[in-house]
Amino acid sequence: MALVSPRYDVERFGVLPLPSLRQCDLLIVLGLVTHKMAKRVKLIYQQMPDPKYVMAVGACAISGGLFWDSYNVVKGIDKVLPVDVYVPGCPARPEAFIQGIRLLQEKVKRGLSK
Amino acid sequence: MSTIRLNWGPQHPITGHLRFILDIDGDIIIRATPDIGYTHRGIEKLAEHRNYVQIIPLVERICNVDSFNVSLGYVSAVEEVLGIEPPVRARFIRVIMAELNRIMSHLYWFAIFGVAAGLFTLIMWPIADRELFIDLAEMVTGSRVTYTYFTPGGVYADLPEEFSKRTLKTLDYFEKRLKDYETIFLHNKLYQMRTVDVGILSFNDALERGVAGPSLRGSGAKIDVRQDEPYAAYDEVEFEVPAEKSGDSYARAKIRLSEMKQSIFIVRQALRQLPPGPVRVKVPSAVPEGEAYTRVESGRGELGCYLVSDGRTQPERLKLSTPSFRNVSALAHMLTGVKVADVPIIYHSMDIWPLDADR
Amino acid sequence: MSLEVEAMIAKEIEAKFQGASIEAKVQRKRRITIEAGKEWIRDIANYMKERFDFALVISVSAIDLIREKQFAVVYHLWSPSYRILIALRTKVPKDSAELLSLTPLFESANWHEKEAHELCGVKFDGHPDLGRLLLPEDWSGGFPLRKEFKLLE
Repeated sequence: MALVSPRYDVERFGVLPLPSLRQCDLLIVLGLVTHKMAKRVKLIYQQMPDPKYVMAVGACAISGGLFWDSYNVVKGIDKVLPVDVYVPGCPARPEAFIQGIRLLQEKVKRGLSK
Repeated sequence: MSTIRLNWGPQHPITGHLRFILDIDGDIIIRATPDIGYTHRGIEKLAEHRNYVQIIPLVERICNVDSFNVSLGYVSAVEEVLGIEPPVRARFIRVIMAELNRIMSHLYWFAIFGVAAGLFTLIMWPIADRELFIDLAEMVTGSRVTYTYFTPGGVYADLPEEFSKRTLKTLDYFEKRLKDYETIFLHNKLYQMRTVDVGILSFNDALERGVAGPSLRGSGAKIDVRQDEPYAAYDEVEFEVPAEKSGDSYARAKIRLSEMKQSIFIVRQALRQLPPGPVRVKVPSAVPEGEAYTRVESGRGELGCYLVSDGRTQPERLKLSTPSFRNVSALAHMLTGVKVADVPIIYHSMDIWPLDADR
Repeated sequence: MSLEVEAMIAKEIEAKFQGASIEAKVQRKRRITIEAGKEWIRDIANYMKERFDFALVISVSAIDLIREKQFAVVYHLWSPSYRILIALRTKVPKDSAELLSLTPLFESANWHEKEAHELCGVKFDGHPDLGRLLLPEDWSGGFPLRKEFKLLE
């Protein structure tokens, strides 16, 4: 949420949150994914048009984080979806998040993402 | 009568990760069934496999934007079982940080209201102002959210020297800003049209269904843990508990704004009265057998922390009774018979945080 | 700090339910613990509600006392008038963990009991709907909050 704030203003990098996933090309997984949510995340990803990218932001999204041994947490979203960029942190700072977005944009420019 | 079944959530900008199954006839909700658990991490089970200090970051992440308040409940429970009390200076610091957190939590709430109502200024202003308070928290703890700052025995480190001056400056600015918020948002015809007489929760319903926090006080029940059983240094500062009688979404918004005003008032008093001294006491290495139930007033409402120790390094049981859990169960009843267009506003006015409800 | 009110309440409840192997203890200011047999819990809670305005159930916890092969079920009730919290405790055997639901008397107990049932497997007779609450729809892993349920290493 802080990313859209005037201080970080991610819109200047060409990133805008939109309500409909049919209009989006980036799926940001911010935080942990439970087994219950994992099915829905897959559904959402499948409904996005190509080309599409995935960012895993935060320790929980990358590996399950603090909740790694929980009975209801997926140990990293890359078990469910192909991830293009990983942004570490618990929680990830907005600056790191923006760096992740820039990294993804570079990857896309160089034609390197999945 | 033919009804449509609509899935509202779990991927939706307003609900967070929570689903409501809405049975709709024309424009009216016939039945609303909540479906939670999309962020259920099993924190209570994990707590049985962590030591008492490792549990602090776990508990904090029940509500990231309000983590001072949430961790205070747990930390106080451990102190009660240990039979220790934090030093006076720490108690005042706890009040200061908890109230700053309350402001941050309510500002976030206003921002999401802007998303719900489609009012862009109402998104940008609170989020920007919240950054000033995040700066204060970062100054003290090094983190923007989820601070792991409160610990059994007190707080981790003392406030830095410039904290008091900077906080007072921020509060002076924010106090003037709140007047603008009131004029532009609360006294705004558009806002009122969407919230007055929308989502009415009666006094009896609110109490019987276990609703907590500003949502409870919006229906006329002046119940606030900080005055019911004062903790930290709340018995040494003066403040009012705002309450409204109408029980609609407008009342709940008004209360949150008034609470921010009261928070400013409390922090100023606490900074003035802040005594010198240590911020931490030595804590015994072993937690004895015993149990404690502590209540704190978090931004969303009353949080109860039930801790049972059997003398080992890990607790026997940790049970958290969270305000969002209580409020969601009341919401199913509140959404019956309302118009579809009002659903996001009513839901949001109850300030439900799925991570808080699911744990 | 005077504990007169707490002592008065504890004594009165104990006296009212003398045949129930009941034990009421004042823990500290605003905290009383009452322990009784499971058949008595609903009547005690009802009396607390009528007599002392313990109108709210703010938490229901089931604790797996694995060595004793029992569950402790603890209801936390709050009285807005007296501003006192009572922990109403009972024990049920683990292999037949059931007791009467308090939901017909306290709507606020509804979801708390539902959760205790889902995560611990305690049955609350008379509860309107002890279905799924937090766990995934296709969950078949048992009751996570039982001590024998192992987390990953």
